[in-house]
Amino acid sequence: MKFTRRDLLISTAGAAAGLVLSPVPWKLLSDASIWTQNFPWIPQPAHGPVGTKYSTCTLCEGGCGIRVRMAGKCPVGVVGVSAHPLTKGALCPLAFAAHQLNWHPRRLREVRHDGRAASWSEALAAFRKASSEGPIGIVDGRPGRAASSVFEAFTQKQQGSYQAVLSAESQALAPYADWSGVPVASLGYDMENARTVVSFGAPLLDGWGIPGRFTHLWADRAAGASDPQLRLIQIEPALSRTAARAWQWVPIRGGSETQLAAGLARVLLEERLVKSAGPMPHLTLDDAAAQTGLSAGGIRDLARTMAENRPVVAIAADGNPAIAALNDLLGAVAAPGGIVRIKEDTTPHVPDAASSPLRAMLLDSTVPWEFAAQADAEVFRFAAWDGGGNTAGWLLPAPGFLEELTDVPTPPTSARETYSVAMNLAAPATEVQSAAQFLLNVDATLPAVDKVIHARCEGIFRARQGTVYGEQTLALSKIDSAQHLEEQLRKGAVWMGDPPRDGRFRCELKEWPTGVGVSPAASWATAWALPVLPALATKLYQESTLRELPVGRQA
Amino acid sequence: MKRNLLIFGVGMALALVTGWAAFPHALYVRRAQPLEFRHKTHAEKSGLAQCDSCHLLGTNGEFGGIAEVESCAGCHADKMGTSKAEATLVDSYIKPSRETPWLVYSRQPANVWFSHAIHTRRAGLACKDCHGSMGESDQQRIYEQNRISGYSRDIWGHSMSRLERAPGDGMKMSDCEDCHHRRNVEVGCLGCHK
Amino acid sequence: MNVRYGFVIDLDRCTGCGACMVACAAENNVPPAAPRATPRTGLTPMLVRKVSNGMEGAARREAFFPIACMHCGNETPCVAVCPQQAVEVDKATGIVVQMPQRCLGCRYCMTACPYHARYFNWWDPAWPAGMEKSLNPGVAVRMRGVVEKCNMCPARLHSAKEKAAAAGKKEIDPADYIPACAKACPTGAITFGNLADKNDSVFTAAHSSSAFRLLARLGTEPKVYYKSQEPWVRALAERDSDHATEAQHG
Repeated sequence: MKFTRRDLLISTAGAAAGLVLSPVPWKLLSDASIWTQNFPWIPQPAHGPVGTKYSTCTLCEGGCGIRVRMAGKCPVGVVGVSAHPLTKGALCPLAFAAHQLNWHPRRLREVRHDGRAASWSEALAAFRKASSEGPIGIVDGRPGRAASSVFEAFTQKQQGSYQAVLSAESQALAPYADWSGVPVASLGYDMENARTVVSFGAPLLDGWGIPGRFTHLWADRAAGASDPQLRLIQIEPALSRTAARAWQWVPIRGGSETQLAAGLARVLLEERLVKSAGPMPHLTLDDAAAQTGLSAGGIRDLARTMAENRPVVAIAADGNPAIAALNDLLGAVAAPGGIVRIKEDTTPHVPDAASSPLRAMLLDSTVPWEFAAQADAEVFRFAAWDGGGNTAGWLLPAPGFLEELTDVPTPPTSARETYSVAMNLAAPATEVQSAAQFLLNVDATLPAVDKVIHARCEGIFRARQGTVYGEQTLALSKIDSAQHLEEQLRKGAVWMGDPPRDGRFRCELKEWPTGVGVSPAASWATAWALPVLPALATKLYQESTLRELPVGRQA
Repeated sequence: MKRNLLIFGVGMALALVTGWAAFPHALYVRRAQPLEFRHKTHAEKSGLAQCDSCHLLGTNGEFGGIAEVESCAGCHADKMGTSKAEATLVDSYIKPSRETPWLVYSRQPANVWFSHAIHTRRAGLACKDCHGSMGESDQQRIYEQNRISGYSRDIWGHSMSRLERAPGDGMKMSDCEDCHHRRNVEVGCLGCHK
Repeated sequence: MNVRYGFVIDLDRCTGCGACMVACAAENNVPPAAPRATPRTGLTPMLVRKVSNGMEGAARREAFFPIACMHCGNETPCVAVCPQQAVEVDKATGIVVQMPQRCLGCRYCMTACPYHARYFNWWDPAWPAGMEKSLNPGVAVRMRGVVEKCNMCPARLHSAKEKAAAAGKKEIDPADYIPACAKACPTGAITFGNLADKNDSVFTAAHSSSAFRLLARLGTEPKVYYKSQEPWVRALAERDSDHATEAQHG
């Protein structure tokens, strides 16, 4: 019999019935649904045993303690360390995504010369040649590190120049250094003992100094209280985050901080609100009122408020000498609650200057991208992330976040001396060399960074003072060897020194200073040395209206 | 009429045979493990008789999974025997410090959270309750991978009908739910998903 | 012991820094913004909004409201509307758990949520090349087409449970389970704890006179409390929605 069309239809019906009774449709449905959930372009997290390591953040000078979660050799999360004596577990918003920075699209992945790709050996050869032809200027954006010692050693041998770029917080301490002879690195703010803090535009609650130090202090003593133990007076033109939370916000005309300081000083002296007898500023109260936009009465009230709850300290956003003079008047210099000396080191740091124009300049990766090098010098710039702009000279890929062994000296503004180490927890995402390592390749007799760190640990150990905050909190006297101290620091501990036995110093101020400070950088955190923000910062400015993209920063 | 029934029956039979025999054969592809590891050899010859001698549970309960190549190097830093498997291990993975790309029979999707610590310590389950007699095997089982979903055949189970399954055969969500239901342990979505 | 996890957010301490937003995104593998993302289409399971008292000049005051899922405990709106049962109120902890893998992307829950605390993955998650190595292995990555929201960092709860099991304990150590936002907050504005435990500091804070909840009149019993001593902040939070709004809407 023939196989007709009808037979075909009937057998198809049978097959359909059979198919339904077989696993085919059900299994295919199940598998297809699983397939839709596993598209290959969806990124998957790393595998590997998960562990925890402690270290120090190196995004800025603050040196906040961090606890890093690792999956194998990759950092997969960053949180603060509550046992850290300065930060007490706090971190700035950017630190939480810092472990992702190493893969930022603007990560420098190759040596570049005048915009074209080049190699490390070419760069090394060019540097050797430049070094033999004339003095090299080294610029260091974060002085005081072990790497800084390497730079200075090179400078001395080569007879070039060493220059440190100071952050805004360090600049604010510079007038006191000039007037007293105590180096900037030996000064700090004793905010823990202040009862009134007057900030002239310094973002105390938004990244100033060591993020977390003042925020904790303020949160414990001032937040929400109508009569707080710590009065925060914020003086700035706009209602910033710090101003919004301050006990008192004093809106002044932008750029008139110097005049306000002078007006306040006049009131303090004329009404004998301070013990000091001078120097008297030249500006009259009415002129100060006119220039700041406040009334004369307003300035008087402010001066009285400042004087009534002591100790009081004024914090400048930059190296404004008028505000420093105001502090001197208020008795905030070398006194509890004010500007204090944190160590007994009296060696002033005189920047080395070369005798002739520089042949070349070496810019460490910590130098802000905006730094203007000498016009005719060959530039060797180390950077982990490309800041854009000028492509002339050499661009050399530097280690990124937690990709190199480095140490963290006392952060500017700290009231006590500290020292910690940031281990290289992450394998470098690309071929890198730090500036210190590069110089060692040029001259192998220079000290290596790890040797300098070792020597510093020995120095701290020999001084037999201070406390180590690590897995446990131990007085240094209980640590049995420098080796043991170094091991603790390499595991993320931080050493904090005791206050110096003799912290006295004086500022010799004959007359009211006339210099003006530089306007504070227009950014929502203090001078951010990295040219790029972590990728997740888009939460803050693109995906919300919480912040605005900082001027000049790339997304 | 009888002829129609016959034709219907033939169609149905063909579909059933395809569905139950040919389809599973076509759905799964056999893949070779990077080298042939024998659990029984290791258990007998090197005193690693417990599962957790190599499949470690960390201090905070993290499960180490299949041992990393560093653990294998503890004994196999150099070739101890003459097997081809060991030669592959030492030459291709231990010496160049490369992780062995094992094909994991019990691999679950990324959104599944399973805690070995909770199931072995709190629930008192033995390894073989879910993984079967893998630890006693003297031959490595063939890894069959589902061509569509990408997961091992162990997840659905070898039997297409999912009836009569041995322990270790079948690790779908419904299998987890069944055991939780039997033992009256309610966990909700949060208990097993990430 | 009955456990009802919740937050108390002290608005007088919040400085609007945004650390909670970044920490949340890092912990939960939230991708950075797609090039076309805006504050309306972005993914911010924790979102800090700025509000003001509406005045200008020296009389202006501003405050910051961290807003995330409120984990409603009564007639949870999103649970009620989901056709996929992709969200449920966890019986053991009170956490409202969103399962993005079950979601089919209808976005009904986004309409239902009175707090606008749910976000849709308009684009596939994309990280710059290599950055996926820095993702948190404890959290599954979502794909486009699904809704996500704050889940109270279940990866941390999982770790805490595992650690307790390894130590032979039944209950977790509260110090082991702190969601990313609370852990990140540099002023301690965001506090986390068990609202069902009378001895927990969060319980005390939630029942203090300065504590309130947003849209409390809806009766959804959110588990996120806010606190402020500033009268204008409280008035703003409890104003009738018919009145002119001063809050900046993203």
